[in-house]
Amino acid sequence: MKRALTGVAAVALFFVLGGCGGGAETGAVEGRDGVAARGTIGFSAMTLTNPFFKIIADTMTEEAERHGFEVVVSDADRDVNLQSQQVDNFLASGVAAIVLNPVDRIAIGPAVRRANEAGVPVFTSDLQAVAEGVEIAGHVGTDNYQGGLLAGEAMIEALGEAGGEVLILHFKQANSCVLRVDGFRRAIEEYNSDRSDGRIEIVAELEGGGLRDEGYRAMADGIQAHPDLAGVFAINDPSALGARTALEQAGRADQVRIVGFDGELAGRQAIREGKIYADPIQYPDQMGLMTVQNIVSYLDGEDFERVHLIPTRLYRQADAERDPTLDQGP
Amino acid sequence: MPEETAQPVRGRMRRLLSGLVDLAGRRLSVVVLLLLCLISSAATWREQNPITKRAGAAVARQVLEVCPVPCEVLVVVRDTAVDRAFAAAIERGLAAAGAPIAGRVFGQPRDVRLEFERIARAGGSVDAIATHRIASEWGPVRSAGAPVVAPGSYSWPTFLTPRNLLNVVNQNADIAIIALGMTLVILTAGIDLSVGSLLALAGVIAAVTAQEWFGGAAASPAGLLAAMLLGVAAAALGGLLSGTMVAAFRVPPFVATLGLMMLARGLALILAVGHQRRLVGGGAEGTPEAVRVGAPAFAWLGNGSALGVPNPILLMLFLFVAAHLLMTRTMFGRYVYAVGGNPEAARLSGVPVTAVLLAVYCLCGAFAGLAGIVDASRFEGGRPNAGELYELQVIAAVVVGGASLAGGRGRISGTLIGAMIIAVIQNGLNIAGVASYEQKVVFGALILAAVLLDRLQPKIASRRARMTRGSTSTPVQ
Repeated sequence: MKRALTGVAAVALFFVLGGCGGGAETGAVEGRDGVAARGTIGFSAMTLTNPFFKIIADTMTEEAERHGFEVVVSDADRDVNLQSQQVDNFLASGVAAIVLNPVDRIAIGPAVRRANEAGVPVFTSDLQAVAEGVEIAGHVGTDNYQGGLLAGEAMIEALGEAGGEVLILHFKQANSCVLRVDGFRRAIEEYNSDRSDGRIEIVAELEGGGLRDEGYRAMADGIQAHPDLAGVFAINDPSALGARTALEQAGRADQVRIVGFDGELAGRQAIREGKIYADPIQYPDQMGLMTVQNIVSYLDGEDFERVHLIPTRLYRQADAERDPTLDQGP
Repeated sequence: MPEETAQPVRGRMRRLLSGLVDLAGRRLSVVVLLLLCLISSAATWREQNPITKRAGAAVARQVLEVCPVPCEVLVVVRDTAVDRAFAAAIERGLAAAGAPIAGRVFGQPRDVRLEFERIARAGGSVDAIATHRIASEWGPVRSAGAPVVAPGSYSWPTFLTPRNLLNVVNQNADIAIIALGMTLVILTAGIDLSVGSLLALAGVIAAVTAQEWFGGAAASPAGLLAAMLLGVAAAALGGLLSGTMVAAFRVPPFVATLGLMMLARGLALILAVGHQRRLVGGGAEGTPEAVRVGAPAFAWLGNGSALGVPNPILLMLFLFVAAHLLMTRTMFGRYVYAVGGNPEAARLSGVPVTAVLLAVYCLCGAFAGLAGIVDASRFEGGRPNAGELYELQVIAAVVVGGASLAGGRGRISGTLIGAMIIAVIQNGLNIAGVASYEQKVVFGALILAAVLLDRLQPKIASRRARMTRGSTSTPVQ
């Protein structure tokens, strides 16, 4: 009896949700009739809880529609197991191309190889895959090393002649963040090389998970261990905002300057309010756009740049005050 | 009965119907599974584009209709085994009719463009293009100006394609394997939260030992087997640890396995980061990335297949049969049910309760370890972050499969069905295009519903018993 009821509940739920799916499908069918759809592009995003990847997904969907393609977006939820399952699902449903933000640059290898064997081109955006023996048709991402250099410059600017102790909130799992930190360290080293006072010392590198709550916890510990801290470099906006909250609670918000990364909406808003000093900003919309354009070029047999890195730009408070997309309240 | 002679058909129908209802009641999880498959099929009813030998022969016939001999035909397919077989069938059909082949492309859209340029330079021409639906959308094919012939499409549920069905089971084989072990634990009224972490620990230990002790890329199959066994043994040892806490020290299973969950995850991360640090020659900090195993044979268990069936599925089926026999045909199986039903009564009737609990947690750990080996093999490396939140999916599979969290009630076959129900829901929702946010809602609600019904079960059962008593006391006419 119990199993009976469980089953009924499962079926009922499935129906309800199946309804949602059905809605999405009608849209696709309309597309097929309207623009004579050339096929489907499967996109497995790193995590859709981060607005950055949502923007990539949305821009891709929009741009692909203009070229007669439909985009199916799956959320890998930072889990490479889920991501490779999604690749298998794409292959089973016969997509024309696959786009990934590789969750694990090595462990995604076997899944990419299966796509290669099935003759389906794989494109990466934002993060690159480095597994052996896999063929990536094209990559569009941020020039993270250059972004790291800019973050270092912003930190030097923020601390001024006084210099001081700096902490890094890292997310080592992502290679993009490793490059950012490499660039940041390089810029700081160069600055220190010709001075004896006013030096900037990187005193710690903590794991901030690239998330608001983990960044908050790491910073709360960091400020205890390093009470004289003058600056923080967080490898993305969520962890920068988490750090800000921790510093406010510790009463050190005025003492410690924060440099973030990304330039997503919440981050830019915080820059406007002076809570974050500056961000090297990335362009997820351009990533989505160029990825789709690369796919179209590939399918049209045209040549295109196999690896395209978009440079970042430094975004400070003055930029935020002119930014029309921000809420211009008091 | 006189009624039957008066209306024999209706009577037989009624008996058949009640028989079906009875069967459905006893095997409802199977019915639910079939129903879910049906819904998934309906939701994924799509255009399918065949790339087979038969489709190739049909294309050849159609080309000859469109453009009679002599007709210069360009064959365009991708560079895959399936595509090549399809292309070979087209060429056989054309050769039989004596149609010349202007050229063939086994590759990418770019190769098609280059082939056209080559033909143009050589002064040749293309009168027709024979290809499949996917390549017929490639730019150079569309803009060629020659008629394009591709096999006609037909409608069929994507869910019900062989490739997808194998995907569904293969993707969830690890969950199902752990769920077998979890069933034993839940039958003793326990719970094991550490399975996801033990999975990661086993995978990382297998990968690190394969790389550092057994020869890395040059590791022999025996060395790889030893590495895998070490991983499974470590996970079993972990299970033994939580079993000891539960059986000997009466620590609530929830707390004992929660502790082990964090401990094992930490160990997996430490081992992986330590290995990465040794890889780059010390000094620099390691990253918690997958520990790559160089030996190609390591991927056999996770990515290999026999007779077209992926190895993880075969392992799952083997373990399922073993666990089923263990629980239905052996003294140990009866002991497990006895301990879960009433531990005090079991103790008094001579069941070695402590030993049974130790064995159950140890087995659960070993099953998690096996799943970890499958995972590591699948990704060609041990992932310290593998199996996060697996415990929830596994417990959901067991509970949906009909086991009671109160212990003593549940079957291995039910668990297998439960795991498949979860797999089908997940896959069905995925290919029907339901966003991941909604999927989380379904799973949460499904677990709540199953547990709630588990709670309501005694009430429903007693009401049913009252009703049955009531009906037997009234005289039957």
